[in-house]
Amino acid sequence: MGQSFRMQERSVLHFNVADFAVAVEQVADVSLRGRPLLIALQAGRAVVYDMSEEAYRDGVRKGMALREATRICRGAAVLAPRLGLYQKAMAAFFKELQGYSPLIECGRADGHFFVDVTGTHRLHGLAPDIGWRVRRETRASLGINPIWTLGTSKLIAKVASRLVKPVGEYIVMPGEEEDFLAPLPVTVLPGLTGRELEKMRDFRLTTVGALAGLSRHQLMVPFGSRSDYLHDLSRGIDDSQVSRPGAAGDSIDFEEIFADDTNDRRQVERVLGVMAGQAGTRLRDRKQVARRVGVWLRYSDGAQVVRQASCRSGTAGDFLLRKLALDALQRAWRRRTRIRSCRLVCDRLQRQSPQLLLFPEPGRDPGHTKVLTALDTVRHRFGQGVIGIGMRAGL
Amino acid sequence: MFPLRVRSYFSLLQGIASPAALCRRARELGYPGLALTDRDNLYGLWDFLKACRRESLRPVVGAEVSEPGSDRLVTCLVRDRAGYANLCALLTRRHMAEVFSLAGDLPPLADGLLLLCRDIPLLTEYRRLGLSVAADLGAVPTGDARRLRNFALQNDLPAVVTPDSDLGEENDRQLYALLQAIRHAETISFAMRDGAAGKNDVHSLAAPEFYRQRFAIWPEAVEATARLAETCTFTGPAFSTVMPPWRGGEGRKAAAVLREKAYLGAQVRYGDDLGEPVVERLEHELKIIEQMGFSAYFLVVRDIVHRRGPDGRRKKRRICGRGSGAASIVAYCLDITNVCPIKYNLYFERFLNPGRTDPPDIDIDFAWDERDEVLRQVLEDFRGHSAMVCNHVFFQPRMAIRETAKAFGLPGYEISRLTKRIPWLHTGGAEGLAESLAELPTLKDQDLSPPWPEILALAGRLIGLPRHLSVHPGGVVITPRPIQEYVPIERAAKGVPIIQWEKDGAEEAGLVKIDLLGNRSLGVIRDCIAAVNGCGGQLDETLWQPEDDPATKMLLAEGAAMGCFYIESPAMRLLEKKAGTGDFEQLVIQSSIIRPAANEFVREYVRRLHGGAWQPLCPEVGDVLDETFGIMVYQEDVSKVAVALAGFNSADADGLRKIMSKKDKMQRLANYQAMFFAGCAERRVAPEAAAEAWRMMLSFDGYSFCKPHSASYARVSFQAAYLKKHYPAPFMAAVISNQGGYYSTFAYVSEAKRLGLRVLPPDVRLCEIHWTGAGREIRVGLMAVHGLSAEFLARLLAARGERNFTDLADFFHRTRPADNEACALIHAGALDGLEPSGNRTVLLWQWASFQRALQDRRCLTLFGVKLPPAPPLPPPDARSRARREFAILGFLCEGHPLQFLGIPGKGRMKVADLPGRVGRQVTLAAWLLTGKLVSTKTGEAMEFLTFEDETGQVETTFFPEVYRRHAHFLRSGRGYMLTGLVEEDFGALTLTVDRVNPL
Repeated sequence: MGQSFRMQERSVLHFNVADFAVAVEQVADVSLRGRPLLIALQAGRAVVYDMSEEAYRDGVRKGMALREATRICRGAAVLAPRLGLYQKAMAAFFKELQGYSPLIECGRADGHFFVDVTGTHRLHGLAPDIGWRVRRETRASLGINPIWTLGTSKLIAKVASRLVKPVGEYIVMPGEEEDFLAPLPVTVLPGLTGRELEKMRDFRLTTVGALAGLSRHQLMVPFGSRSDYLHDLSRGIDDSQVSRPGAAGDSIDFEEIFADDTNDRRQVERVLGVMAGQAGTRLRDRKQVARRVGVWLRYSDGAQVVRQASCRSGTAGDFLLRKLALDALQRAWRRRTRIRSCRLVCDRLQRQSPQLLLFPEPGRDPGHTKVLTALDTVRHRFGQGVIGIGMRAGL
Repeated sequence: MFPLRVRSYFSLLQGIASPAALCRRARELGYPGLALTDRDNLYGLWDFLKACRRESLRPVVGAEVSEPGSDRLVTCLVRDRAGYANLCALLTRRHMAEVFSLAGDLPPLADGLLLLCRDIPLLTEYRRLGLSVAADLGAVPTGDARRLRNFALQNDLPAVVTPDSDLGEENDRQLYALLQAIRHAETISFAMRDGAAGKNDVHSLAAPEFYRQRFAIWPEAVEATARLAETCTFTGPAFSTVMPPWRGGEGRKAAAVLREKAYLGAQVRYGDDLGEPVVERLEHELKIIEQMGFSAYFLVVRDIVHRRGPDGRRKKRRICGRGSGAASIVAYCLDITNVCPIKYNLYFERFLNPGRTDPPDIDIDFAWDERDEVLRQVLEDFRGHSAMVCNHVFFQPRMAIRETAKAFGLPGYEISRLTKRIPWLHTGGAEGLAESLAELPTLKDQDLSPPWPEILALAGRLIGLPRHLSVHPGGVVITPRPIQEYVPIERAAKGVPIIQWEKDGAEEAGLVKIDLLGNRSLGVIRDCIAAVNGCGGQLDETLWQPEDDPATKMLLAEGAAMGCFYIESPAMRLLEKKAGTGDFEQLVIQSSIIRPAANEFVREYVRRLHGGAWQPLCPEVGDVLDETFGIMVYQEDVSKVAVALAGFNSADADGLRKIMSKKDKMQRLANYQAMFFAGCAERRVAPEAAAEAWRMMLSFDGYSFCKPHSASYARVSFQAAYLKKHYPAPFMAAVISNQGGYYSTFAYVSEAKRLGLRVLPPDVRLCEIHWTGAGREIRVGLMAVHGLSAEFLARLLAARGERNFTDLADFFHRTRPADNEACALIHAGALDGLEPSGNRTVLLWQWASFQRALQDRRCLTLFGVKLPPAPPLPPPDARSRARREFAILGFLCEGHPLQFLGIPGKGRMKVADLPGRVGRQVTLAAWLLTGKLVSTKTGEAMEFLTFEDETGQVETTFFPEVYRRHAHFLRSGRGYMLTGLVEEDFGALTLTVDRVNPL
């Protein structure tokens, strides 16, 4: 970068609602505040979806068996997760932020938001003021008290929020990134794999500063192709953009967490069929087609397998989506171990082509279009779960 | 109706009912007899024949023979003796031949067999060849059955109905689904709905009327079954006793050769002047041996022990004759046992007596790592006439729970969490299993919520079903005629041929087995002596009398025999210490009296040994028990007392002795009890004395030993103890290298440190694969570094053999370790010597550099790899370094893991301080080594646990209440804070624990 040209420092705010599901539930029922709370499905073999700070302090962790969690955190209230409610809360929070910037990035019902407010000071004042203001507003309107942090990148803002969890705010001034990171343990850095952390322990690279002390060439020795990323990470360099919702690369995503983990293939196939139907409706609503369908299986022992099936021209039809999903499932499910959750991801989305088919293609029976239209009508009127495509025994 | 095709649970993972249950059911249903036709085997033959006798059923012996790679089956029913031999040969061929077809391999062996078949092409072929064949219509009159019947009618063949049963009862379907899920590695939900269990062709044995009604349209197919069964007159093999053949002697009789060799051997053992007792004993034994036809057997065993080498000369292997055979002076003179039966007053009739109906066997121990070679040679020498005995492995609680839980899809860690904490279980049924688990103290905090109740209920039903075959530890059968004429042979997973019967079946058939077993301690003694002599020592084994060495006796009297064969368990060492003698004779008694059901007699023995007054059981018992202070110690004491008090003859006395060690003995034991008390009453023995004698006999429940066995082993124990006393470093190195001792390597390393030995860490430039010891040092062997492959070790030794390693890059370049191997070597300290600073962080970095260089190939030169200098990285802190070293080695070369646990509190005791605290409460931090779970008289579980710290070992007692409270977190290889009372008994210290907390 030439010396004559100086790029304006970015201002990225990170809002994080710690234990988001718990926070939302506590808004819905204030009597839950200050008490240990576990969010988990009510079933014999359910696992913890989220927990309050009190329960965390007692040793409860996400993914822990609910029975174990209730044993070590006696007296904890247990609520079933209400994903719809959390998504609603996310949307409400999102709405609060929309007034400050069009560049907002958020996760899936996890209470994390990055907001790029670079260059908005004339409109909304200084970035810290936005942080304070958003907190005040969300506290007032939603009853939620988020952490907010400010940095020159998503990385710095994210690391800062890990320091102040569960409540607080942190501002890292431009130019102070490296000094800010240097004394911190490497475990606060986002995006490190377990294996990388293990290597860092092996080499006694316990602080970010120690990691930053290694040259790119030296980092290449243990970390190979990740050396550039780690080099930048350890120095607080992060050029990644705050990506807008609905931007390219977006996908449609559904997940089912089985209350009692299951190894009943028909049950999993049934769930995938329902999700394929929901994905089809969503795609048709958006006038899009998916060229790839992925099935993510998480086994009860924590192992995760992802397999995909694709079709060249893309589809928005329930029939083909379900077939692709079942093909992917067939390839993904190779063990006897029970399945804890199953996720369907439709990606490589593109606009639906108005061009009609010249020749019939497998899974694209023109008669299906009418059925699908009828299905969509029923679903829009009475809800997603009311109608689906049946499965013949033995399929 | 006669059931001609019935499978038992010996059709592995297919059938469900035992032969006994099938026979019981057949009798209840009113059948006159039953054919047992398991898939490709005769595993259940002897159970079946016994059950048929019990239920008064006519047995028909048979098997279903399958064709690999197809679903074709032929049921072969044995008509006569020739048919039995042919079936054995056919089944052997089915298992051993590389290619097997029913069309090609069956016809030459069909003589004496009745074949039932469903396959029309096969039926056509068999009919063309004139074989006895019938069409098997199965259990349901289906369309296929109609076609088959029509074919049979057209070709004038009989057609029969067969039950084709896999289920014991109709409600076994879920259990059947489980078996299918286990067999095909499926989930039970799949097996129930879509797999084999979901189909409708699985049946149980139904009543004759059921088949008559079902086949009312073809009544002749039901009636034909009885007619065909009539033609099968064979009711089971009757070989009498089958001895191994001796092929030497060049025409001379085995008895004459045995006599000659026994007398020659006696002269070596006792000198030219044998003396009257030796001659008398030899003559007595030779007479019985000849009379019972055992001469050849002795000579065969002798030839195995003294194998002829390539130079034609016989060389004796390092062995230890064990079991009752060690009571024979003939065996001693043939040099196949090691103790003189006259000197130690060993009772020959325990081994062989004219009244004994079951054939005894001679058991020989070889060094564990030489045993496989011995077996290979025996099987090679008697090729086609020999095979090993198999074990029928049945589902035990742990295995049943594991397999069932897997079929239910539970993750491995969840299954292990339960099964690893099941110490023992005695249960027979589904309810029993769940109840037993609920009562186990080790599972106090276990979550047994659904689906566990369903899993346990089903697993309970799985217990006792056979799972697979394994190889008996050492039993070999050698037969005069080809062995496949006696029993079907198959190949075990490890490659050796095995017979299809386990040892009880072999015994029932009359097949005499020779036990060739592996013994780790013979390897220890061999290696230690080699190390001693290799370092300039002179230990002449021919003149070696360790039993007479005062220092060795002192070591034993102090209970310091850790590492010494057979006498190193905590209970045994405590007893040695309480006895305080260290004599050979007492050691023989002690190693026999330590048995599960004899606790109270152990205490009484120590009291009497130390001069406590005692009276014989009654005058009638005479001096039979004088050498054991009036206490029954050896198995043969049971026989002797039964003879002396109740007038038992030799056969009954031996029968009583034998039944004590059996599991299923209630009825037969009750008969002996009645006989014993009647005999005592007849001889006017006081009822109290008779009752006391019987109570003592019952202490032989479970396992117990005969004196010849204990004496033979005591000799090996003394040899080991001598070596430990005089050559501790090579001895401890040999103990750890040969593995398989009572304790973990960790415990042996601690013992070495207590002996004042320095434990040198592994070093790739200096150490061998096994541990080495000399002077006051032992060097850790590379075998201790977990995760090193045999291929890598071979590369390392070869590379070092060329020239020693100069630096790290040289080592990595020439040995090419895998990532886990290099890291293991670094964490174990084996590469410290190649890095001047000894900084293991730098070593790890350099290994990463080497890997990167290999990928880049830029740094590769003709002369290897040049590694750039590492950045300045700090060495690991002491705790991390120790933790990693412990994880890789399982012990620490320096220090003790307790040092790193940050134990709080002052005033804590060390184990070495305990002698001064007898009768007082103490608290100490200690490391759990091992434990022995026992049951009190009232059936409550309690445990004796061995702990140690840097200063010594302490034996602790966890009484039932304390055990119940703490069992769920007690694991060996962890540190605990113990609080309890120090107690002393005849000089031996123990700690009775009140409280324990994990550190």
